[in-house]
Amino acid sequence: MNHFPQAWGRPRDDVYGQYNPSYLPQSHGGTQQPITHTQSPIVTGTSVIAIKFKTGVVIAADNLASYGSLARFTDVHRLKHFNRKSVVGVGGDVSDMQYLDRLLKSLDVEENYSTGSHTAEESETDPAMMGANNLHTYLSKVMYKRRSDFNPLWNALLVAGLDEKNKPFLASADLLGTTFSGPTMATGFGAHLAQPIMRRIVPDEAASQQLGREEAVQAVRDCMKVLFYRDARSMPEYSIAVIDEKGVELKEKEVLENQSWDFADKIRGYGTQTV
Amino acid sequence: MIYQTGALGEDGIHLDMNHLKSGEVNLGTSIMAINFRDGVILGADSRTTTGAYIANRVTDKLTQVHDTIWCCRSGSAADTQAVADIVQYHLGMYGITNDEAPTTQTAAALFQELCYENKDMLSAGIIIAGWDHRHGGQVYSIPLGGSLHKQAYAIGGSGSTYIYGYCDANWKEDMSEADGIKFVKGALQEAIKWDGSSGGVIRMVVLTKSGAVRHLYLPDRNYEGPGTEKP
Amino acid sequence: MTSIGTGYDLSNSVFSPDGRNFQVEYAVKAVENGGTAIGIRCKDGVVLALEKLVTSRLLKKDANKRIATVDRNIGVVHSGLLPDGRHFVSRARDEAQSWRGTYKAPIPVSSLANRMGSYVQAFTLYSSVRPFGITAIVGGWDAETDVDVDGAVGSGPKVGAGGKTKGVKEGGPYLYMIEPSGLYWGYYGAATGKGRQAAKAELEKLKLDPKDGECISLEEGVKEAARIIYVAHEDSKDKDFELEMTWISAVNGPTKGRHEEVPKALKEEAERLAKAALEGEDEDEEKMEK
Repeated sequence: MNHFPQAWGRPRDDVYGQYNPSYLPQSHGGTQQPITHTQSPIVTGTSVIAIKFKTGVVIAADNLASYGSLARFTDVHRLKHFNRKSVVGVGGDVSDMQYLDRLLKSLDVEENYSTGSHTAEESETDPAMMGANNLHTYLSKVMYKRRSDFNPLWNALLVAGLDEKNKPFLASADLLGTTFSGPTMATGFGAHLAQPIMRRIVPDEAASQQLGREEAVQAVRDCMKVLFYRDARSMPEYSIAVIDEKGVELKEKEVLENQSWDFADKIRGYGTQTV
Repeated sequence: MIYQTGALGEDGIHLDMNHLKSGEVNLGTSIMAINFRDGVILGADSRTTTGAYIANRVTDKLTQVHDTIWCCRSGSAADTQAVADIVQYHLGMYGITNDEAPTTQTAAALFQELCYENKDMLSAGIIIAGWDHRHGGQVYSIPLGGSLHKQAYAIGGSGSTYIYGYCDANWKEDMSEADGIKFVKGALQEAIKWDGSSGGVIRMVVLTKSGAVRHLYLPDRNYEGPGTEKP
Repeated sequence: MTSIGTGYDLSNSVFSPDGRNFQVEYAVKAVENGGTAIGIRCKDGVVLALEKLVTSRLLKKDANKRIATVDRNIGVVHSGLLPDGRHFVSRARDEAQSWRGTYKAPIPVSSLANRMGSYVQAFTLYSSVRPFGITAIVGGWDAETDVDVDGAVGSGPKVGAGGKTKGVKEGGPYLYMIEPSGLYWGYYGAATGKGRQAAKAELEKLKLDPKDGECISLEEGVKEAARIIYVAHEDSKDKDFELEMTWISAVNGPTKGRHEEVPKALKEEAERLAKAALEGEDEDEEKMEK
């Protein structure tokens, strides 16, 4: 025994040797790595883009799931529709997207526990039906809860649809639980490449209320083309959805049209070469 | 000892995507499964390595989890065996308690739950292929993160990266059994040729309404036999 | 009730010397006082219907629905003690959710009935609990189409799966009735509650057994269900009631495989026909009397 209180009641070093702290965390002189849940995404989807127009929202994402730079799965549909008012576009980790898809399915079952009290035609005008804004609030809280548990869902989401007053709604949520909203939205590469294009067409909320459905669809299709030109994790087949008061129209096998490659013919060398 | 994750592998080229613990046995591997006219065919090489040493040259990477539901395992041998054992138990229980054989979907769902919920502890890339009365043949793939993909055919393991082109160019839907076996064999031969972590014999399992049939193809017979015969 | 006062009816965990569990039998009495509930298994769907007795003029019409959705393809109607029914439904929803959690697919109606049967039966075993004061009718549609794993992506071969066994029919309409003892059977038509005898007599007249040729269609089933509830109500004519009706069709049918309330127009039509049928009978009787 010595006069240091820390040593009282402990095995004596001179008899048992130095205490072996290796199992302790690094902060306490050990070598143990901290427990961590935070992973990195493995199978991933790239950008999601969307535009609000007069009476609804258009949203699109391509059908590729990459494995690093390997284009591993080419039939992955990343737009998930929820009731007849919303579509969620998912970028980032595909396994977490599937988790969210199942979460939405169970939410849908719970939301319909009282379908005993609604006929199909009644629920079309059901004021209690979840709007896209409600869904966005729900999802952003799921995302924030998971980041606060240091176990984030590695995704960037766009929620597009109609709110409970049937006005167009568009907002994002990401792996940190951060949210934004606006008349045009894009995740991932789309935020750099598509957002500037969409903003030229729809600079503000007022402009989106003037925009027609066809123009909005065309703008999104044009952006998907630019993304295919410049995003190395993209493919030319994509899904596109339009949500308006008529419901959700989801197409999952669209192919990019009117690509521009002919000008490659005029390119010679990398500077002065002409042949 | 401090674990290094995401570090370069011993060859200094490939990223250690699988985060193997030191001394862990790796199923370097080329595995695949395909749909064909009457069901599904699973195929695999037989090489198991610890680093550059071949720990087992006649490994069986094709694992039965129910009568006509099988899987191909890649990644950590210990992890994938543990996962397959758990799924085999659950499918056995399902068959007894529900008085009905489980479907390939059931197996895929169980595999995915385990791989997804324990993704930070596992290095497992699994292909599930099965045949059942209701759905016929089906192929599912669960890569590292634990996502679930339904596919016409699936390839996996380190050797698969060398045969994406071969498979895409030679794939045909609704093949006969003979053509299916030719396709699997051709693909795995290429994988074995170019991937140092794949090698040895080619094993296959054909799953149809008449059950599971094993095939074996040996390198010293130019992978032509013995097929279903005894060598 | 000759054994009342002998003491064997006081506890759930005590048999009477002649092998009866009186608590369960008393629970059945509770059910026999409830409004009539029926289920009909038709060719292309299931109908659930309930005679909801109006206990107060202060209750809002058409509010306080009693037929519950358990999973998207399964509904439950019950007769007896209401709160017991709510607990039953809550447990059924938990079972359906837990099945989805494990197998990433909707629970088959038969498995749900099996699990709920076991649950109800457990309440006949212990002295600390009483049996359920309800009989529940569980109706649902197991998808006849291929259902993929919840959340899975990708679609497999373009030509579809190979090696399917030809002529294998999967899924379809299912109907079960679970009693306070935990006993359950699958039925073509099921009835419980006060008017069950009359209802059963009517159900037996319908073509519901596929062995007897083409079964009645879902739409016919809706009309029959409404009529049967009205017939069953004849004995307690002095009391007001509301008809509650839900249905589940095939995936390619009107409800797309989901459990929903019968649309207003169809229900009103069914009620009109039901009333007309009853008046017709009355007229017949009157004629006979003359």
